[in-house]
Amino acid sequence: MRLSAYPAFTTTAFQARLAYRNQVWASVFGELVATFAYIAIWTAAFAGASSVAGVSLPDMITYVLLAGSLLNWRTDRLINELGESVRTGDVTVFLLKPFQYPGFLAANHFGQYAFDQIVITLPVAIIVALTVGLLPPASLFHGLMFLPYAALSWLILFCLACLAGLLAFWLLTVFALEWFLRGIMALCSGAIVPLWFMPSQLAAALGYLPFAWVSYYPSAVYLGKLDAGQSWTHLGIGLVWLVALGSFLAWLWARARHRLVVQGG
Amino acid sequence: MLPIISADGVGKTFRQLKRQSGFSGAVRSLFSRDYSEIRAVDGVSFAIGAGEAVGYLGPNGAGKSTMIKMMTGILTPSAGALSVLGREPHTHRMTNAAEIGVVFGQRSQLWWDLPVRDSYDLNRHIYDIPEARFADNLAYLTAMLDMASFLDRPVRQLSLGQRMRAEIAMALLHDPKILFLDEPTIGLDVVAKDAVRKFLAEINRERGTTIILTTHDLVDIEEICPRLIMVDEGKLLFDGELKRLRASLGSRRRLTLEFATDPGPLVLTTATLSADEGAAKHFVLEDETVSLIDVLNEVGRGHGLKDVKLDEPDIEEVIRTFYQNKPSLAGAAP
Amino acid sequence: MLRSLALIPHLVGIYVRTRMEYRGAMLLAWLSQAFSYAAMYAAIAIIIFRFETLGGWAWPEMALLLAFHLLAYSLGAALSFVQFRDIEEKVRLGTFDAILVKPVGPWLFIAFSGLNIGYGGHIILALGLMIWSLTQVSADWTMLTALYFLAALISAAMLTAALMTMIGATALVWVRSRHLFSIFFGFWELARYPLNIFPLPLQVLMITFAPLGFLAFIPTAVALGKPVPLLGDWAGPASLAIGPLFVLIAMAHWRHCLRNYQGAGG
Repeated sequence: MRLSAYPAFTTTAFQARLAYRNQVWASVFGELVATFAYIAIWTAAFAGASSVAGVSLPDMITYVLLAGSLLNWRTDRLINELGESVRTGDVTVFLLKPFQYPGFLAANHFGQYAFDQIVITLPVAIIVALTVGLLPPASLFHGLMFLPYAALSWLILFCLACLAGLLAFWLLTVFALEWFLRGIMALCSGAIVPLWFMPSQLAAALGYLPFAWVSYYPSAVYLGKLDAGQSWTHLGIGLVWLVALGSFLAWLWARARHRLVVQGG
Repeated sequence: MLPIISADGVGKTFRQLKRQSGFSGAVRSLFSRDYSEIRAVDGVSFAIGAGEAVGYLGPNGAGKSTMIKMMTGILTPSAGALSVLGREPHTHRMTNAAEIGVVFGQRSQLWWDLPVRDSYDLNRHIYDIPEARFADNLAYLTAMLDMASFLDRPVRQLSLGQRMRAEIAMALLHDPKILFLDEPTIGLDVVAKDAVRKFLAEINRERGTTIILTTHDLVDIEEICPRLIMVDEGKLLFDGELKRLRASLGSRRRLTLEFATDPGPLVLTTATLSADEGAAKHFVLEDETVSLIDVLNEVGRGHGLKDVKLDEPDIEEVIRTFYQNKPSLAGAAP
Repeated sequence: MLRSLALIPHLVGIYVRTRMEYRGAMLLAWLSQAFSYAAMYAAIAIIIFRFETLGGWAWPEMALLLAFHLLAYSLGAALSFVQFRDIEEKVRLGTFDAILVKPVGPWLFIAFSGLNIGYGGHIILALGLMIWSLTQVSADWTMLTALYFLAALISAAMLTAALMTMIGATALVWVRSRHLFSIFFGFWELARYPLNIFPLPLQVLMITFAPLGFLAFIPTAVALGKPVPLLGDWAGPASLAIGPLFVLIAMAHWRHCLRNYQGAGG
């Protein structure tokens, strides 16, 4: 199997989404409304104050787009697809094909992600930039540093979603796992409320859990809330988390595959 | 006799989206789209009397299901007049529904996770069937369709044949005057098909239930329905007895005789040679009354006959032949 | 009509028995959804603790708003959401046809033969939060306020079911309706915050074309004696009228779509 097949999965996934035109327009509209809602919430919360805990309202508006739209992508499609295929045993069909199923999943859902970002988030970001304004990265260093953080964020969330989907093999329900992950991400990733605004003990605890690398840390780096030293340290910790999650996922996948092949589902 | 179903120039037109292919097509379709009109049913007229069993036959996409959906009140005809049991089915959908039974071959009306009996019990309430009547019908249908062994099993555990029997029984619990069946034998194995056919013929004969079934299996028609309505591309092609269709098509059974060695030219009065491959010869049997025995008697011994193969015309072929002969048959249809 | 009503317990019964076949999965679903909503509410609580109020609403008041939002939505959605979201699929698979050949109103059949007991987790969480917040908010409630609160809750649940019905019904004519549900949920998310924090055009939208302002904010504000933008004193009566009004609109729309039902084609 040539490696070039994986980008093909990505393009196909992208193209497939385009076919549902009403869904595209509705998603853009929905995202626009949701984004302005969060901007309205932060505007109301700041109530004219120029900065709270060293964070300004423009910081928070940029944070809404980064942490909410760009980094905390919707994992429900991935969880349902993987979860249903392991729960029903349909995944064995993929095991017969000449490519790695995890690689296929990643390529496919990266296509979906790219679609969401280009077709949905980008227009919304442009509208926000033109109306209320978006901040550039705090510095060239922070801007460049944001790139590995964003890649790390995507991979960590991909691993978390795959873990939730794979657990369906043992728990026999995809639905509940998806909702559990959704709840965890809402609070622990910082997608809605950054760790700055949390009670200090909660913030300290969440700051060490892998979820914070999905939304909070990349956005904080972009906005320059972490200095160079902290940025490098947290990138390192994030990588350790990625390796840990990836290994656990690989182990779980091997066990599920073994049981599927040996017991025929 | 007053017909219980009459269709007069019934037509149904659908609007269908044209999909554009390729990446640029997908992008373009974000902004504009084209539709085309499909005439699923086109000027169809017929009348069906009480107690008849009629096969509605045609290839996929011929408009069979659409016609059933109009007769059961699901769809409104876009042209013509349709009357079922003296009513316009779409405007009196609920009253109509109480007096008909409908079986869809490919979509179950049973509750997947529950025992068959639970679905029946719900239907008792939906159709307001008196308790005693319900018990009688259930006992009769259980015996006739041999369902006692799986009546208390969840539907998801039934075989396709068992499920189809359960579906048919469910549609008959409220004593419908007309039973509509959309592809009732599709996907069933030979034994299950046979059981379903025997039962339908029986219920039509014994209880006088009018049966309308769509199919693309000619055997369904042969065993259940004396009368045949044939459609293609929305239009009515033939309405009459199956025997008459066969006769008017000249039967067209094909016969292949294989010999150990080439017997040389062979001319028969009972069959017409259509192709000669030397040791293998292909004939067409034009006359419905000629049997295989007749042909073999005429061939006689001494030619070293090795194998004989007789092909009944399948539905695709009947329709193909029908098309070729359409002008001459137009006059034959009522 | 009476016969139809007598049918309801049987329709609900058969669906409940179906769900009970998988009661483990259902309990887990209750738990997971309640957890997810609680996490979301915790995030909102954190914002309010940090900034003291949100648009003039303190945490106990906000908690009452969230509880009302979740309870009214769950009551309406139990009767409608999954059932009518799946009309799209029912049309595609042809199972909607099978409903139309039954001598029973299709709305009644769909709504009650799928009466979604999966909302148990929502309802328990919402009731818990509502009881707690009612003991915390400083409002002297009269019998009349309590009656209003209850009636507004029913009206808001009716509004939810009516909107879901209307969106689902469009699938009968346009084949797809999922995108309209995404738009619904966009506004539904806004509906759990005080309406006054949003820009004026959004406020107007939320009490007219996308009337989800009535789902929680308006009734809660009226019950707490807080100002309602745009509507002022009309907010109370309007929030009671909105549910029945939309039920009538939804009924007309549903009938219209049924008349123009095209099937899956072919």
